[in-house]
Amino acid sequence: MQIEKKPNFKGIENALKISPEAVIDKIKLSKLTGRGGACFPTGKKWEIASANQGEKFFIINADESEPGNFKDQYILKNNPDLIIEGLLIGCHTVNAKKGFIYIRDEYKDLIKNLQDSVNKYIKKYPQFDIEIILGAGAYVCGEETAIIESIEGFPGIPRMKPPYPGEKGFQGKPTVINNAETIAMIPLIMNNEFNPELRLFSLSGNVKKPGVYEFPLGIKLKEIMEKAEPEGKIKSIFMGASGGCLKYDPEIKVTQEAFREKNVCLGSRGIIVINENQSLIRMLKYITEFFIHESCGKCTPCREGNARILELIEKSIEKGLTKEEHERLNDLANYIKECSFCGLGMSSTTALLNILKEFKEEIKCLK
Amino acid sequence: MPEIKINGKKIKFEEGKTILDVCRKNNIKIPTLCYHPDLKAEGKCRQCIVEVNGKIMTSCNTQAKEGMNIITENEKIKKYRKINAALLMSRVKTKDILETEDIEELMEHDGLFENKLRNLPIDNKNPAIERNINLCINCGKCIRKCHDVQSVDAIYPAFKGIETIAATPFLCPLDQTVCTYCGQCSLVCPTGAIREKSSIRDVEKALKDEGKHVIIQTAPSMRASLGEEFGLKPGSLITGKMVTALKKLGFNRVFDTDFGADMTTYEEAHELMERIEKNKNLPMTTSCCPAWIVFMEKNYPELLNHISTCKSPQQMFGAIAKTYYAKLHNIDPKNIVVVSAMPCTAKKFECERREMRSSGFKDVDYVLTTRELGRMLKQNNINLPSLNDSEFDKPLGISSGSGAIFGTTGGVTQAVLRVIEWKMKSMDVEWEELKKVEGIRQIKLKLGDKELLLGIIYGLGNARKVMEDLKKGKCRYDFIEVMACPGGCIGGGGQPKSTDMDIVKKRSLALYRQDEKLEMRKAHENPVLKEVYDNFLGEPLSKKAHKYLHTRYFNRKK
Repeated sequence: MQIEKKPNFKGIENALKISPEAVIDKIKLSKLTGRGGACFPTGKKWEIASANQGEKFFIINADESEPGNFKDQYILKNNPDLIIEGLLIGCHTVNAKKGFIYIRDEYKDLIKNLQDSVNKYIKKYPQFDIEIILGAGAYVCGEETAIIESIEGFPGIPRMKPPYPGEKGFQGKPTVINNAETIAMIPLIMNNEFNPELRLFSLSGNVKKPGVYEFPLGIKLKEIMEKAEPEGKIKSIFMGASGGCLKYDPEIKVTQEAFREKNVCLGSRGIIVINENQSLIRMLKYITEFFIHESCGKCTPCREGNARILELIEKSIEKGLTKEEHERLNDLANYIKECSFCGLGMSSTTALLNILKEFKEEIKCLK
Repeated sequence: MPEIKINGKKIKFEEGKTILDVCRKNNIKIPTLCYHPDLKAEGKCRQCIVEVNGKIMTSCNTQAKEGMNIITENEKIKKYRKINAALLMSRVKTKDILETEDIEELMEHDGLFENKLRNLPIDNKNPAIERNINLCINCGKCIRKCHDVQSVDAIYPAFKGIETIAATPFLCPLDQTVCTYCGQCSLVCPTGAIREKSSIRDVEKALKDEGKHVIIQTAPSMRASLGEEFGLKPGSLITGKMVTALKKLGFNRVFDTDFGADMTTYEEAHELMERIEKNKNLPMTTSCCPAWIVFMEKNYPELLNHISTCKSPQQMFGAIAKTYYAKLHNIDPKNIVVVSAMPCTAKKFECERREMRSSGFKDVDYVLTTRELGRMLKQNNINLPSLNDSEFDKPLGISSGSGAIFGTTGGVTQAVLRVIEWKMKSMDVEWEELKKVEGIRQIKLKLGDKELLLGIIYGLGNARKVMEDLKKGKCRYDFIEVMACPGGCIGGGGQPKSTDMDIVKKRSLALYRQDEKLEMRKAHENPVLKEVYDNFLGEPLSKKAHKYLHTRYFNRKK
């Protein structure tokens, strides 16, 4: 896997040799896009921040909280140098005063490893200031503006966008926020060892070989499944909790576009495999409980709506829904998707909407 | 001018305005809840959704951009707004809601979902503000007032997700927090989850008691706002009608806090002149705003010696009513009940302070806010706008124009300067500059051969900035007027809930109108004031004046 290549200071040395503009050109040329799921071109993100004057900051989002995602954990554990070296290149290129690595509370056993790597790099490059920030475990702190609030010491509640962090981020200063996997690609780009097609996938669920894999985009879903060795006949795959539920199609190409056509979001590529023995409505119950627990409480749809969805799901499991209740479930799901303040709320009913459309029989209705 | 399309119609708009601004300007109705014209748009309640180029967006925090195609209402938007409103209302017992003007539209959709109520303790241990957070629908306006505007931070979002509410740290009662009782939260609370602690019952009881001599004093700003509770236009001056209404309620005498304000002016002007002459404890700050006093006691106890020791007009009035007035009319002060009608919730706290008993009794017994008085009049079927005018009673109803302008930012300063000008003869200041409504103003004052700098401030957030400077020795002012509420008392926490800065400015103009039409505009010209000093207090700053008209402050920092 390309993610396992040790950078050995080569990436940063190459970056320091050329101008920041040249680094940005190289990243733009590499076609690197954000690996957190939004796929924003990384070179462009850096360019916007570079153009801003004054104090700037750099944040690495390692708050990998999406259920079924553990690719960042894999990098943090096995090759933290790649992240740190990428961060130094980032700080150097956009001229950031300080770099933060925001890591989720559940990964605290990885901090020592990461801090060792930071110390190693700071010893050699004392001009940089890097700090590891341990979150308190909130899912919403993976949202870029909620991370900023959290680092500033406030509750993780998303901010209004615009302004985007690139204009006004940490302490109101221009801030670049990159996903851990994205930043790990930077040294590879500097060393001309980067393959833009390859992505990390986290595989779990009804499979014999769960784990982190590397596949090129555009691969057929069945090829991925073969590697993970499914248990039983596959019914569907869930893309984490927020990406939705895809009716299993072995021939579908694994790309953003192909998935989007099915109203599913490839996102950060955490695949939870579900076989025919599993109940999707129970999966939905679990997912809804997860989003109720993780809602920050700011906006009405996410705060109040999901609690009502849970009531209806529970009723469907116990007794079945009336026609009106089924309609209400559908309305609520669309309302939450369209009216929520941030991505957390907007994506909290993706799987429900998929199941309402593709697996009608899973939601029990009264005759 | 750029152009957008709203409901198929092309509309020109001013760059930088939000979709909601543009719609309101063009009389297109969009329901809102968390929006307030004086607060930063947060886009949190989602009631104001519209469709922008086919995508649902909140209109309160989305800037209008050239070429947008906006639909403000269709079947989908109606459906989503209905669900949204019903979800919000399902969290509260609607019959407990106090005043519903702000949420009538939301309440129409109540009942779509089964109630999901909270059962948290009611906080009513302090004398000023009552909080029943079980009525909170999370509009967050109180938090933006307390945090963004006042910098007080007594309330903040507590818990998360479905448990979220606006609450104090660790759900402490307000008296254990940094709350100043300014009541700006209660002014914007749409359900009355935060409301003034009502004294209506106590006042009604006193009015029914034949053995009591019940008098009421009305705050300067009230006459410019009470009319709004009865649908009158903001800035309507209803002084005479208000006096008639209070007489109808059964008060034995209707007096004026403007008289108390004249006394405060007179004492404070002498105190300022003395401090300037001795160059002692400068800058001197005003002391008539009780929320400002608590703010200082809880945040800057080391700066308390800068505050004027003069009591507020309300408390000076109370002290004189139960001493001088009682003796004059041969009434036993223990049978006098002093009620104040105030635009303020903090006044309820002020009258309970243990040092406010210089008459030997509680100098002021009960405080009613503008909202409470409006409610009380309505309950008694007294329709204010239809009443004839009456005059305030003598003697404590006689006041100068200086008393009237106490209710607006800069008013106290002008009142004090009118006395100083009379005393010192040589004084120069830009009077018109003093009449503006702005958060922090710096005004030069020439006094004899001295050049002084006056600071006029409203809003505790602004006050904090100046106090931080003062702490660091960087404050250049010699005199500072502070009013905790935006615009001064006319924007007070006890005022009608419709209050916003546009309305505040209209009320301010009304008070200046009152001042201008009076012949007696200076505190020292007030004949009753002269009588009180000649026959009772002696000189300003005398020992007796100190006993009845001055006070002290306490360190309440935790």
